[in-house]
Amino acid sequence: MKLEVKNIHKSFGEKEVLHGISFSVESGKALGLLGRNGAGKTTTIRILMDVFHANSGEILMDGKKFVPSKYQIGYLPEERGLYPKRTVNDQMVYLGNLRGLSIKEAKENTNKWLQRLEVAEYADRKLETLSKGNQQKVQLAATLVANPDIVILDEPFSGLDPVNSQILKDVVNELIAEGKLVIFSSHQMSYVEEFCDNIAIINQGEVVLDGRLKEIKREYGRNRLVLAAVNYNVEQLADKIDREFEGLITVSDRKKEFLVLELADGRSSKEVLERLAGSDIEVERFGSYEPSLNDIFVAKVGEEENHA
Amino acid sequence: MRKFGIVLKYELKEYFSSKGFMVLTFVIAFLGAALLFLPRFIDMSDFTGVQVVGEKEEPEEVTEEDMTKFAYIDLTENGVLQEELLQQMIPDVSWHKMNSLEELKQSVEEECDAGFAVTGPTEYDYYVFNKSMMDSNTAMFDEVMKQMYRLNYCAENGLDLAEITEMYNVPITVNEQIMNKDSGSNYWYCYVLVIIVFMLIVYYGQMIAVSVTNEKSNRAIEVLVTSTTPNSLLFGKVIAGAIGGLFQMGFILGAVLISYSVNREQWGGMLDMFLHVPAEVLLAFAFFGLGGYLFYAFLYGAMGALVSKTEDISKTVSGLMMVIMVVYFFSLMQLTNIDGTIIKVLSFLPVSSYSTMFARIAMGTVASWEIIVSFLILVASIFGAGVLGAKIYRMGTLRYGNPISLTKALKDLKKSE
Repeated sequence: MKLEVKNIHKSFGEKEVLHGISFSVESGKALGLLGRNGAGKTTTIRILMDVFHANSGEILMDGKKFVPSKYQIGYLPEERGLYPKRTVNDQMVYLGNLRGLSIKEAKENTNKWLQRLEVAEYADRKLETLSKGNQQKVQLAATLVANPDIVILDEPFSGLDPVNSQILKDVVNELIAEGKLVIFSSHQMSYVEEFCDNIAIINQGEVVLDGRLKEIKREYGRNRLVLAAVNYNVEQLADKIDREFEGLITVSDRKKEFLVLELADGRSSKEVLERLAGSDIEVERFGSYEPSLNDIFVAKVGEEENHA
Repeated sequence: MRKFGIVLKYELKEYFSSKGFMVLTFVIAFLGAALLFLPRFIDMSDFTGVQVVGEKEEPEEVTEEDMTKFAYIDLTENGVLQEELLQQMIPDVSWHKMNSLEELKQSVEEECDAGFAVTGPTEYDYYVFNKSMMDSNTAMFDEVMKQMYRLNYCAENGLDLAEITEMYNVPITVNEQIMNKDSGSNYWYCYVLVIIVFMLIVYYGQMIAVSVTNEKSNRAIEVLVTSTTPNSLLFGKVIAGAIGGLFQMGFILGAVLISYSVNREQWGGMLDMFLHVPAEVLLAFAFFGLGGYLFYAFLYGAMGALVSKTEDISKTVSGLMMVIMVVYFFSLMQLTNIDGTIIKVLSFLPVSSYSTMFARIAMGTVASWEIIVSFLILVASIFGAGVLGAKIYRMGTLRYGNPISLTKALKDLKKSE
């Protein structure tokens, strides 16, 4: 399955909140949908699920118009919500049944997912009596109860301790391995890096960056090097580079342990290495720079906002 | 339709698995029924006027100590008071003749409940230590004085008091043949039924609004709207509320009406005006009451979707509440003018036909076509309210924050269409 979102526009009243959102995602791969609060991620997701209607644009599944009711969609909303005063089992069977399963199937799937997420012992307890982490796991179980083809997870890791995060990570990896189409929205970039092959960064209702994560990283790391020295700290090293390597490299960023350097036009890393060999700098670390997703996000969103 | 059924079933489970709901239903029904069975077990003849079968009425022995004590003195020259007549006219009272006014006053202060000093044929002084709010002793003694006067007058003028009294109080026999409806006896149960349907609408309407808002405030709606349609959700909730309300009210009303019909003889028919409701009126009440309830329930559901916190519900339902209150008071006020123009108009409006049409059926003159037209208008309005309610619900469910006013919601709806 390949889901394509093409040039979606959406307005609330007079205000346009989405200005032509486009991205695509395939089965067995996860898309990281990133953006600051209020960027338009949730509105995009709601349009995908036919809760809101787009003013223009189209959504295609394998080249044909996407009809959400024809697919099982499991949605974990950022604002968690189930019935606090009903038992876990009761509401999971209800949601499964509502999404097209028979009562028997809904009960079986409820047991399966509660066990997989290690909360089966709370099946007959009211949701409000569970800890926040366990409520979160029940919410995820409710998302997956109908064996969805498309899984949309909005901030799935918030409120989970490291042990529960690991359980959730395993589940997400299993879903991807099973060929589900996964859309993953989070502010925690490390998780996005871990699961997603593709990303789409939305800023102020527009996709400002999208594509394969590896390529994006390579693109952002091109002409950039990392350098750390044994005999200079980061500040001293930066001063030395500014003074002695002018015209060859410039300091692009100062990290805690190393510098990020940018090659001047037409210069190569080999030349830098030769100059370093001739200097008094005892090299501790030298190589190509691979930016983190966090760096890319901050750089891209910051750049867009500066332009605005 | 399948999803509507699932929502309905889930919402019904909420009502019927609620201990509070079930206990309240059974306790009120039990108390109502128990109250109506009381005359079978307890002598309530003082109240009902009916002696329980198998139980003989034994006159209570009243001791001198228990009796009310009155002091009296006749201060007229010729002596107006006749002691014998005094005892006859006001029995169960211990009368004490005083020799002086001072003695009478002292007696009232110390022992007697009240004192009467007759100063002329049509005049007397009344002495009481603390006058109670319900003191009717003077009214009683007035009758004694009047009778004394009549006796003395007849004696002085050679007239026969017994003959005059008989002529004056000649009994008249009435054979009442009611050709259509007895508004007098139907009035009270109509009054009660109007109050019941009003309570139903307000109580269950509020419950539905709270249930919708709760789903917003606990964000369950986020998952629900992606699992089913807003129409299924709202219709499921409202119909479940209707079934819950019907069950509760039907059970309580059924228990009370059946208990009364079983014990009607023991009550001497004294509660007929409230509880002896003809079947056709109950049927009209069921149809129009349920219709009115559904009409308002959809609107209550939509109002619930306009707020995010249950404490804000009162802000959005206040307009609706005002309409219900106005209809309620108009309906009750117009029961005494059942064939008037106002109630005729009200009986066709969907906001008010739920109470006014069945009142007209019970007490007034109403043609079959009027009932059918009114009911069709009500049914069409229920669907209208359902569709409008679902649209407002769909628009309001995912809008959090400050309450949305109904006018803004309607404007936004118009724009989006």
